Amino acid sequence: MIKLYGFPLSTCTRLVALVCKEKNVPYEIISVNLAKGEQKNPSFMAVQPFGQVPYIDDDGFLLYESRAIARYLSKKYPNQGTSLIPSDPKAEALFEQASSIETFNFNAFVAPIVVEKVFKPRRGLQTNEERVKELLASLLPKMDAYDLILGKQKYLAGDSVTLADLSHLPYGTAFYGLGDVFTEVFESRPNLARWWKDISNRPAWLAVKDGA
Amino acid sequence: MVLKLYGFATSTCTLRVAVVLKEKNVPFEFIPVDLLKGAHKAPEFTAYQPFGQVPYIDDNGLILYESRAIGRYIAAKYASQGTPLLPTDPTAIAFFEQAASTETSNYDPFVSGLAWELKFSMLFGGKTDEARAKSLQGQLSAKLDAYDVILGKQKYLAGNDITLADLFHLPYGAVVLDVGLDEFSSRPNVARWWKDISSRASWEAVKGGI
Repeated sequence: MIKLYGFPLSTCTRLVALVCKEKNVPYEIISVNLAKGEQKNPSFMAVQPFGQVPYIDDDGFLLYESRAIARYLSKKYPNQGTSLIPSDPKAEALFEQASSIETFNFNAFVAPIVVEKVFKPRRGLQTNEERVKELLASLLPKMDAYDLILGKQKYLAGDSVTLADLSHLPYGTAFYGLGDVFTEVFESRPNLARWWKDISNRPAWLAVKDGA
Repeated sequence: MVLKLYGFATSTCTLRVAVVLKEKNVPFEFIPVDLLKGAHKAPEFTAYQPFGQVPYIDDNGLILYESRAIGRYIAAKYASQGTPLLPTDPTAIAFFEQAASTETSNYDPFVSGLAWELKFSMLFGGKTDEARAKSLQGQLSAKLDAYDVILGKQKYLAGNDITLADLFHLPYGAVVLDVGLDEFSSRPNVARWWKDISSRASWEAVKGGI
């Protein structure tokens, strides 16, 4: 059974859990106490030199970076559960394009907004509302582009769901849950709203979204 | 039909694709997009790249954007020529993906942020946000400490062979060094690795601009 070293509510940990659910791969979560800084312990950093969750232990094989773990699991179990990475070269190239879009045209803005609005207050730190405003302003034209793309195809890489779509869920859900202008970013763009409703209601996500 | 690379001669992301093309000995035609005139926001451009960003390629009708996606596509399509840049063994592939993700999450946000604050913002009439630059430098420094540990055990980021993941570090790393911020030299393993990848013929060929 895959050992998932992470924090049940961590965005990156839940991405791995989501992929495990999509692929019907059983996993055991081993909680790393972030509040106590366990991820900075020498024994943790011996495996994950950046001191970040999650990492997996797959029968002795250790891997970190949630997107890398997600890809590893998707490729290790190609014939079970949902197919998440296409094998046809052209479809795979479009998957890589979508993957990169998620990292640089979505996550780059959404993740820091979530850090400012959700994570910092939890740690007793002050939200930098000015920075949130700047990030949101940068995000909006990106979401217009998403709406355009998703008006032509069902998912970000084509007409089948891929890992690229799923990768949006952890931070995207936290962002959407902020309400007001944040929720409006998705809801005011019809194709984006359709896509978001589709992926955020996948049973695999519902199973892990409140805790890996 | 030869592969067409639409980009800006000195743009970091355009160079990220160019270095891979050189490493794989893939001929290409470079078609400049005049960013200063806003050509990347014109309908003729955004019809192909909806985010209005360079670069994109047209490989015999296949349009692809996002420099790292293009790099992966070229490395896979031309696996049997030039330098192997993508492993084929499943374990090695997993370590490659770990390295590729490390570059995007534990390197790029800091170096690209520093490149913006210390160089590019000025080109667009802005100025350096000193506090932000300082914060980014501190974060980059901590990340490179981890890089130094990793590179003390193996030659490259994914193992003992060079991969795309190493090459992807070049464009922004070069910009940051160019503006005088050197977080590489003081870390012996990072310094060794940087010297290795930045002195490759493929990078020498494109680093000054296509």
